[in-house]
Amino acid sequence: MVDALRRVRGMVTVDGTVVDVHPTASASAIEVETEVTGYIDACDAPLRHAAADAAVAAAVRDGLYAIEQAVEFTFYTYGGTIDELREYIRDSWRDARIDEATVGRTRDALRRFPGSRPRSRERVVVTSLRPRRGAGNGV
Amino acid sequence: MAIEEDPEGSELRALDRVVSFASRRVLEIGSGDGRLTLRYASKAASVIAIDPDEEAVAGLAAERLPNVEVRAVGAEGLELAAHSVDVVLFAWSL
Repeated sequence: MVDALRRVRGMVTVDGTVVDVHPTASASAIEVETEVTGYIDACDAPLRHAAADAAVAAAVRDGLYAIEQAVEFTFYTYGGTIDELREYIRDSWRDARIDEATVGRTRDALRRFPGSRPRSRERVVVTSLRPRRGAGNGV
Repeated sequence: MAIEEDPEGSELRALDRVVSFASRRVLEIGSGDGRLTLRYASKAASVIAIDPDEEAVAGLAAERLPNVEVRAVGAEGLELAAHSVDVVLFAWSL
């Protein structure tokens, strides 16, 4: 990961910007409206996301970049049904699943909130990095 | 009913707070099927969108966006001239 940051430093202009977008290590929830019905079993995803944080920190520590800004936001993914959302997460996320208990609670919540759609909620961080001059161009 | 990702547009709003894509040459690493690319590409001067998932990038290539070049390659295999882009975007790929 640090290697990738080091490599692209040589591709971006000296006054350019490198931006990293990745989920935080916090657990991703399943919700109906604002009611949390459970959490996604994302296997080792929190570790991968923490590793991305560490890569950015290492690139800054090594003098390759300076952090300009970091902004967190919430990323929602909506399914038409909980089965559709579960299938999507199973197929699209690496080794992730929604367990049966969460599916059941989500169905109950959908009955209480007719017309609502189930959604996953992820916290995501966007970090902009400015290449530091004189740290080698990485090419 | 289809899956809908970030219909609120929170991701692009967050990006807009930290970087401008306007008239910039962008390298997007991990573009996948272009979920994010399609949201900002019209502002950029040009976009090189890369992802090792050939099937996914084929979907983005099929959009035939005039300023978007799609390559089925990972960051480690990318060949690009030095200092040739203004913005590098790691899209959930670091």
